[in-house]
Amino acid sequence: MPRAPHALRVHDVHKSYRSRRVLRGVSFSLEPGTLAGVVGENGSGKSTLLRILCGQIAADSGAVEHGGSLGYCPQETVLNDSLTVDQHLSWFQAAYGLEEPARAEELLEELGFAEYRHTRVEALSGGTRQKLNLTLALMHDPDVLLLDEPYQGFDWETYLRFWDVAARLRERGRCVLVVSHLAWDTQRLDVVLRLRHGVATPGESDAMRAVAT
Amino acid sequence: MTRAQTGLLRTGASFALLEHARNHLASVLVVVYIPLWLTLEHWFVTPAPARFLLRATGRTVTVSGNHLTMVSGAVNTVTLIVGFMMFITTFKSLAFDRRLAFAGYPRTFLLLSKVIAMTVASALIAGYATAVICWYWDPVRPGLLAVGLFTAAVAYGGIGVLLGAFLRNELAALFVIIMASLLDTMLQNPMSNTGADKDGLQLLPGYGPTQVSVAAGFTSTDTPYGHLLLGPLWFLLMWGLGTAAFFARTRNHLRLPRSARPARRLT
Repeated sequence: MPRAPHALRVHDVHKSYRSRRVLRGVSFSLEPGTLAGVVGENGSGKSTLLRILCGQIAADSGAVEHGGSLGYCPQETVLNDSLTVDQHLSWFQAAYGLEEPARAEELLEELGFAEYRHTRVEALSGGTRQKLNLTLALMHDPDVLLLDEPYQGFDWETYLRFWDVAARLRERGRCVLVVSHLAWDTQRLDVVLRLRHGVATPGESDAMRAVAT
Repeated sequence: MTRAQTGLLRTGASFALLEHARNHLASVLVVVYIPLWLTLEHWFVTPAPARFLLRATGRTVTVSGNHLTMVSGAVNTVTLIVGFMMFITTFKSLAFDRRLAFAGYPRTFLLLSKVIAMTVASALIAGYATAVICWYWDPVRPGLLAVGLFTAAVAYGGIGVLLGAFLRNELAALFVIIMASLLDTMLQNPMSNTGADKDGLQLLPGYGPTQVSVAAGFTSTDTPYGHLLLGPLWFLLMWGLGTAAFFARTRNHLRLPRSARPARRLT
């Protein structure tokens, strides 16, 4: 079956919280095999946009289309403190309908937290919780990934490993959209969307600048 | 139900039960508070006769005030504990449950899993409270007493779910559960409300379970079958409202087609 031409298409999305207009017509589209970033100041609507894109909240108007399955990693870790890492993987394996948690096993190794698989979440450090948070979003190998500052709490080495994982996803034709507030992340991105005054404008990534020069 | 669905339900129910088992405060309350409360009542409450109106038969029974208060106290403790447990699990897991639902775990199964876990926990707690009562005196029908306490537990389990769905503050919910349970049991106990025969008591969530528990404790023939259903009815009503809120909050606004959902084997 031919792949949809767009992995993610967003058209004229508006969202207000009472009188506060957060998004005022956000439009963009991303192709498969793209590593894109949404940047913007605090309160610019980055997380709101991602929550609309993953279906958690409804836009007031506009349209969102996905070209395949979806993975969403929320900014704050959404885990169950009573359960171990392995128990989380089992539950989400059942939820995603996976016969084998093969990708999750890979991610445990790639992100370097396999040693904590039998540890309850309440006893994990913030960084390890975030690794599990990210793994739950990636373990079904989705076509489109929405990641809201997924490396909060990561040490430098794990931060670099995260970008290695993201780059490999891009190579395999996945579309990855990362919310970031870190200026130096943009050098790793194919597409930068700058969210300002409720509108996303294409910004130039360092990678794009490097190609241009 | 298919094998896959059974597997989903088993996974959900076992993890939901595990979550209850790892609720340290609830575990301490079960192990310590139930025997402590019942022991204190056994020591300090007078055994002077008390008259209790069994509405199921229209008969008034005269029983030991000490024993009657222990039955009432058992209703109080199991409702507090199960109400608290269900509040905590509903309150804390909304975001996690939504994540599971968005990942493809059927919401109906998620809710059923929690009901199964609550039912098992309520049965164990009711059985334990009955065993503690039996340590001090011999209720006429301990099995029915356990069932009566179980219906009290599930009624407040439903109330806990409802509070968990709407209150955003743990302390507030804890107070509401404690106050509701105390008022409920005190108003129905003739030791604190002489006669306890005014109309309107039937509207309290603990009414049916208390009638069943007292009948079980002190009579050999009166089995208020209708009253047995009142606790579960309260549960269904409260749980239904909480469930409606759950479905509204975990709705996927994208309305993804089935083909776009992740359900495939990875290699």
